[in-house]
Amino acid sequence: MSVGASNPEYVNARVRSRRASLFADEDYRKLIRMGPSGIARFMEESEYEREINELGARFSGVDLIEYALNRNLAKHFQDLLDWSDGRLYDLIARYLRKFDVWNLKTIIRGIYTETDPEEIRTDLIMAGELDEATIDRLLEVDEIEDAIEVLNRTIYYEPLTEAYEEFEETGALVPLENALDREFYEHLLDDLSRGPIAEPQEGPEAKYVEFLQAEIDFRNARNALRLARSGADLDPASYYIEGGVLFDQSELSRLVNDYDALVDHIGENKRYGKRLSGAMDRLRNADSLIQFEHALDAALLEYADTLSSIYPASISAVLSYILAKEREVENIRAIARGREVGLEESEIEEELVIL
Amino acid sequence: MAKDVKPTRKNLMEIEDRIELSERGHGTLEKKRDGLIMEFMDILDKAQDVRGDLAQDYEDAQKKINMARAMEGDVAVRGAAAALQEHPEITTESKNIMGVVVPQIESSRVSKSLDQRGYGIMGTSARIDEAAEAYEDLLESIILAAEVETAMKKMLREIETTKRRVNALEFKLLPDLYDNQEYIEQKLEEQEREETFRLKKIKEKKEQQEKEERQAEAEDEAAPDVGDESTAEPDMEQSTAGGVPGGD
Repeated sequence: MSVGASNPEYVNARVRSRRASLFADEDYRKLIRMGPSGIARFMEESEYEREINELGARFSGVDLIEYALNRNLAKHFQDLLDWSDGRLYDLIARYLRKFDVWNLKTIIRGIYTETDPEEIRTDLIMAGELDEATIDRLLEVDEIEDAIEVLNRTIYYEPLTEAYEEFEETGALVPLENALDREFYEHLLDDLSRGPIAEPQEGPEAKYVEFLQAEIDFRNARNALRLARSGADLDPASYYIEGGVLFDQSELSRLVNDYDALVDHIGENKRYGKRLSGAMDRLRNADSLIQFEHALDAALLEYADTLSSIYPASISAVLSYILAKEREVENIRAIARGREVGLEESEIEEELVIL
Repeated sequence: MAKDVKPTRKNLMEIEDRIELSERGHGTLEKKRDGLIMEFMDILDKAQDVRGDLAQDYEDAQKKINMARAMEGDVAVRGAAAALQEHPEITTESKNIMGVVVPQIESSRVSKSLDQRGYGIMGTSARIDEAAEAYEDLLESIILAAEVETAMKKMLREIETTKRRVNALEFKLLPDLYDNQEYIEQKLEEQEREETFRLKKIKEKKEQQEKEERQAEAEDEAAPDVGDESTAEPDMEQSTAGGVPGGD
């Protein structure tokens, strides 16, 4: 946690210049027509130059692109944390904890499969709050239990300790991974929302809460639909994340058993119904959830953009930039991987890229 | 071959027994071959279907994993795959199709539910689920294809062996036996003819001899009828006649 006064004006000024250097639609159109080596060259002449040059000796092809994108993303998000102070720092950091969760899951999987620590390190995205020293200590341990002990002063210690018992019983990583993801989502709204009454109704923070609620709701919707589709005998309550407005726990448990009712429930929601109407129609007719998830990602991005234009000097604008940067990384990676596996330009454009 | 066989009646009987046995074996093997071919055709149809499904499943799985790698990133897909150490179990038993032992492959823990795949549900997406599911289907298809195609290959090998046996009986063993049989029969007939001829000759000779004896007897009987004076003459003639060969 950072001390001092919040400095949204300063951070937003820096963010605006960063935002201006994001790839434009026409850049994506150019990239779609290139092969992986062309994309790497294009990146070398852009914002990603340093990362491409640093990693060029170790990786090649699309792997080079992917690792360069991840490293660049980490650098940009670390800058956000470096620039911000006070409450703004806290709000940004709690959102960027998703990268801590990513890193912890990657390390735990690496320990589980006895992967070489250097190989694990390659896959980390150092964009969260956890410092290098903690990551180094985590990479040194050989047992998951020891890794949890390393985290004993973090928010992940308690949920991981609880989930570890289940891990010991089943031998599967699911409880540990779920505990980490839940910890990220459930801390998003810490001291922001304690039920609908406590929510701020106006101002940038209210909009920020609205966005975070949408993120939680969309995650709950994804998970509920996946559970409903899978037909597995799983307790929906254990996959429910508190803090959203789309479902409460009992509603979710009931709806998971009735797929159509679940889709209707999402479609009829006042806040998201209109925004997701196209996706809901596709969802009713399609076998796959992929298009729906695609639509959720696009809706979330649009949400953040709207919020940033309403309050351009607030956390919402920073958050909007974070999402836009993530989207850029995902789009470039999708184009490069898509080209690598021989997907058509139209397929990449339709199925992968969100502009 | 035929020249090596001794043309004896015993051998002929032995060959006739072998012919009977071989003809019976030939018939049985022909039936087996036809049965195997019919079974093989059924398995072939199944194998073709399985192959088609396998190709389709492979294409689907590749497409899904490519999409997942594109959208989630290779690192995320590799990470999700690494979250599971447990491997599917495959056990093989065998079953018998017309004497051919073919494998029966049983698999368990190939298709998994969402919570059995190792990765956390809250932090992953449907793309990874679909890629995992597609690969589980592909693995099921591979196992089925392995079972059907192994059975098909074993059946094919057995059909080939049976066909070779049928052909060996039909075009080699039985013709040789028939040749031997014919050879021995001919030889035996020949021997029989010779024997008959020899007996006929002996008989003729015997008859000739008997005829001569009878003639001589008749002459002997006819001699006293000529007169008493001449009684001494034949004796003299006889002794003269007898004396000539002795003189030689």
